[in-house]
Amino acid sequence: MLDALAGQIEHYMDLLSTRQKLVASNIANADTPGYHTQDIDFQSEFQNALSGSPQVIDAPGLQMKNDGNNVSLDRESRLLSENALRFNVASNLLRIQIQSLRSAIKEGQSS
Amino acid sequence: MTLPILPSTIAPIAAPTAPSAIQPAGESPSSGGFQDVFASAIGQVESMGQDASASVQRFLAGDGEDLHNTVLATQRAELSFEMFQQVRNKVVNAYQEIMKMQM
Amino acid sequence: MSLFSALSVGASGMSAQRARAELLVQNLANAETTRTPEGGPYRRQDVVFESSPVESPFSSYFDSQVNSPSGVSVSDIVTDNSDPERRYMPGHPDADAEGYVAFPKMNPAEDMVDLMGSARSYEANVAAIGAVKDMIQRSIDLFR
Repeated sequence: MLDALAGQIEHYMDLLSTRQKLVASNIANADTPGYHTQDIDFQSEFQNALSGSPQVIDAPGLQMKNDGNNVSLDRESRLLSENALRFNVASNLLRIQIQSLRSAIKEGQSS
Repeated sequence: MTLPILPSTIAPIAAPTAPSAIQPAGESPSSGGFQDVFASAIGQVESMGQDASASVQRFLAGDGEDLHNTVLATQRAELSFEMFQQVRNKVVNAYQEIMKMQM
Repeated sequence: MSLFSALSVGASGMSAQRARAELLVQNLANAETTRTPEGGPYRRQDVVFESSPVESPFSSYFDSQVNSPSGVSVSDIVTDNSDPERRYMPGHPDADAEGYVAFPKMNPAEDMVDLMGSARSYEANVAAIGAVKDMIQRSIDLFR
């Protein structure tokens, strides 16, 4: 119950949560010399059903500034919004599942 | 909690209308099958309850447990318990019906 | 790893940017200061940022050792000790024997740009805290 699909959605939320933490760190370190933007390979982590703790990698393809920092506030702001919105969608999906299950149980009660 | 386990002489009981992660009780009248169903259902409820407690513990202790994991674990535990309760009530009601008939 | 730690990370970013902004404003305000308590003209100061683990009051000791995400902190404040700018102003009260006055070595244009960058980073950190708070609230809403 609440297993197959909900398990997947929960895993999705776990990954979004991890990614958002990294985005927060990237934003905080936007001006730190030598800091490299951190990320996770979302797609492959999600395919890889139960991976435990996702692997943090250096985000590829970013431009390096003179002080060795490669954080792009534009990219991080975009990811911030995207992660929050996706998390929103996932939590709504789960909430609907939980509510349907609950009302199905209650309906069984009356008959 | 202890439940009256029905003897095998009683005819198959009408299946409960609750959605089934637990198999409908209307399968075979053999007591083995029925007992097993209940035992596994209790086991399931137990383990979900334990998962939920563990998750809450980790969250409160600040051991890096994400809140959504805790919420989902507690919801799972609650729902499986409620469903189990409904199934149990149906079974008990059916048993009582049958006992009335025998009088 | 809990999302709550991301709140601390955002907060560390805000503090760091605020410290940076304060120093930039101090530099700009003292662009023409020829006399200081330590003697000599004002010397420009800069913050040095360093990524560092955040302290979260709700994290267990174990978690903060193993999983701590990186926030930022001011590791140092460096003072520019290069030679000051000397201008020929014989009538000035701080003029030396040859009539030269030592002025702070400044770069106001760069400081202004840095100040705007600092404000933008500060805003981004505020937005990060807001987004994370929203996600946590959504998790709580799953109880309904």
